[in-house]
Amino acid sequence: MINAVIADDEVLARHKLRQLLREETEFEIVGESATAAETIDLVRLTKPDLLFLDIRMPGMDGFDIIGALSADPDFVLPRIIFTTAYDRYAIRAFEIHAVDYLLKPFTVERLRSAVERAREQIQASAAAPSSNGAADAQDSPYTKRIVFKSRGRILFLHVSDIRWIGAEENYVRISTESESHLLRETMTRLEEKLDPQMFLRVHRSSIVNLQYVKEVRTEKDGEFAVLLANGQKIAMSRSYRSRIQGWLQR
Amino acid sequence: MHPAIFVGGFVFLGALFGLQNWISEHSWGYKIHLMPLLRAWTVQYFIWGVICWLVWFWLGRSIQKAGLRWILTRIIPLSALVSLGEEMIWALFFPNVPIGRPMSYWHRVLFELDAEIIDNFLIFWLVILLFRGVDYYQRYREKEGAAAQLSVQLAQAQIRALRMQLNPHFLFNTMNSISSMMRIDVPAADLMLEQLSSLLRITLERGEVQLIALSDEMEFMEMYLALQDRRFSGRVRQEIHVDPALHDALVPAMLLQPIVENAYSHGLSRLDRDGRLSVEVGRDRGRLKVIILNSGIGLNPAPRKDAQGTGVGLANVKNRLRLHYGTQQSFSIYEAGANNVQVTITFPLQFSANPTPTLTGYGV
Repeated sequence: MINAVIADDEVLARHKLRQLLREETEFEIVGESATAAETIDLVRLTKPDLLFLDIRMPGMDGFDIIGALSADPDFVLPRIIFTTAYDRYAIRAFEIHAVDYLLKPFTVERLRSAVERAREQIQASAAAPSSNGAADAQDSPYTKRIVFKSRGRILFLHVSDIRWIGAEENYVRISTESESHLLRETMTRLEEKLDPQMFLRVHRSSIVNLQYVKEVRTEKDGEFAVLLANGQKIAMSRSYRSRIQGWLQR
Repeated sequence: MHPAIFVGGFVFLGALFGLQNWISEHSWGYKIHLMPLLRAWTVQYFIWGVICWLVWFWLGRSIQKAGLRWILTRIIPLSALVSLGEEMIWALFFPNVPIGRPMSYWHRVLFELDAEIIDNFLIFWLVILLFRGVDYYQRYREKEGAAAQLSVQLAQAQIRALRMQLNPHFLFNTMNSISSMMRIDVPAADLMLEQLSSLLRITLERGEVQLIALSDEMEFMEMYLALQDRRFSGRVRQEIHVDPALHDALVPAMLLQPIVENAYSHGLSRLDRDGRLSVEVGRDRGRLKVIILNSGIGLNPAPRKDAQGTGVGLANVKNRLRLHYGTQQSFSIYEAGANNVQVTITFPLQFSANPTPTLTGYGV
């Protein structure tokens, strides 16, 4: 069971969330608040697992609320999903390990995927109560999530959702299950950030997520290609072939 | 004007006259040495150069602005004074001229003045004319610069107005679609509202910037296409291809959306199924080339009166292209095969000097 609090100064915004969250199973809204002070009291009192937090609130902003709550070292912060009309706080929200960042107006699908992420994290920390997201960060030098703006939305993309990455001159195209995003970034820099246990450079201009690799194929012309589970074929250079063969034989 | 250039110009002129003098003497059969002749001429013009520069230095602005009264009361007496002064100085340099006829200093001055007075006035007044000519030229250049600046400002204001014309047009059409979708399919209306908000957010952020990176323009268009795809419930196959080397190329903001909107409202919207829209951006000999092709009913049928925004979008695009690129751009619309309509746009390829980095962060 997940206990959640909704903090937003607009009654219709709270109403929308309550309405859409009604369909979630194993989910209960334990309180609503409209100001910063109310939110702090409510969260301290109810100790929810999840907090839906608007950034612009009367009194203080959403980040001040988090600051006030974390002033007490014994208090375990809830997971946070930001809901806001402004995209400019996205990086800050990302840095304090927020679960997601929903730009208003959002659809029910977008909300559902955010709640799903929160559920995973809450269950994971329930299974291993000693660790939390922030502490895990220090363990691995590799990126687990990437934040960026694409098509007017803020995405906190988990690298495990990336199928493959292709170079496009000064940009990279990150492909997920259903869409692709163009980012101004270099392959080398991105490769450094990604866990080599998970991602493999198979070509000067492509990196694949090994999780989605189905097979490595020899083409008629003697070239090699990586076949992804979804049927996508990605060209592979000879020089990279031994690396993936080694991985396949594990 | 630098005095060295000014005086140097005079000396050069003097040397030319000296040479001409020597050549003409020769052609008449007189045997005369070049050097003394050259010396006499260049010294004369050197003196003129110095005097004129001093006149320019002290009186230049007044001469340029002088009215008739000032010319009559000041410049005419000055011309006489300068003519006399020049000969007085020259006579100091050449005590032996005229050769073979020893005379007192004042006699020599009068002798020279007698021979040169017309030339002197001519030189002086030509210089006065030159001063005034310089002033006219400068004022003309200033005026021309101001006119050019004005026309640039005008063009920018026009482009701004044209950009502003597009947003409401597009905004209200989409809101109308959402309003009708609300009654039929709530989740679809919800999604469209989210998509429209994203488009608006981008538009507001962009502000009045007129040239943007192609990648931004394509992102905007893809969002618009996603919205249209919802409206036409997948009846249209959308294909997009962009040369990766052109992601940072500069294009006028909101260039493609009106054309795509037009393709939908005049062609694709009249098909029940198997519609096709393709957008291709490539490079063509130093130019950027956009080809937008849609299936539909061709160009011939008279435009439907009720079609949304008939002609406004395309005219807007054409006008903005003309204002941005003058004659360096091209826009054409024609039928390409059975009932397909193709729009082709080309304009000079430019790249942004410092492309704005995208907001990106890495972490857990």
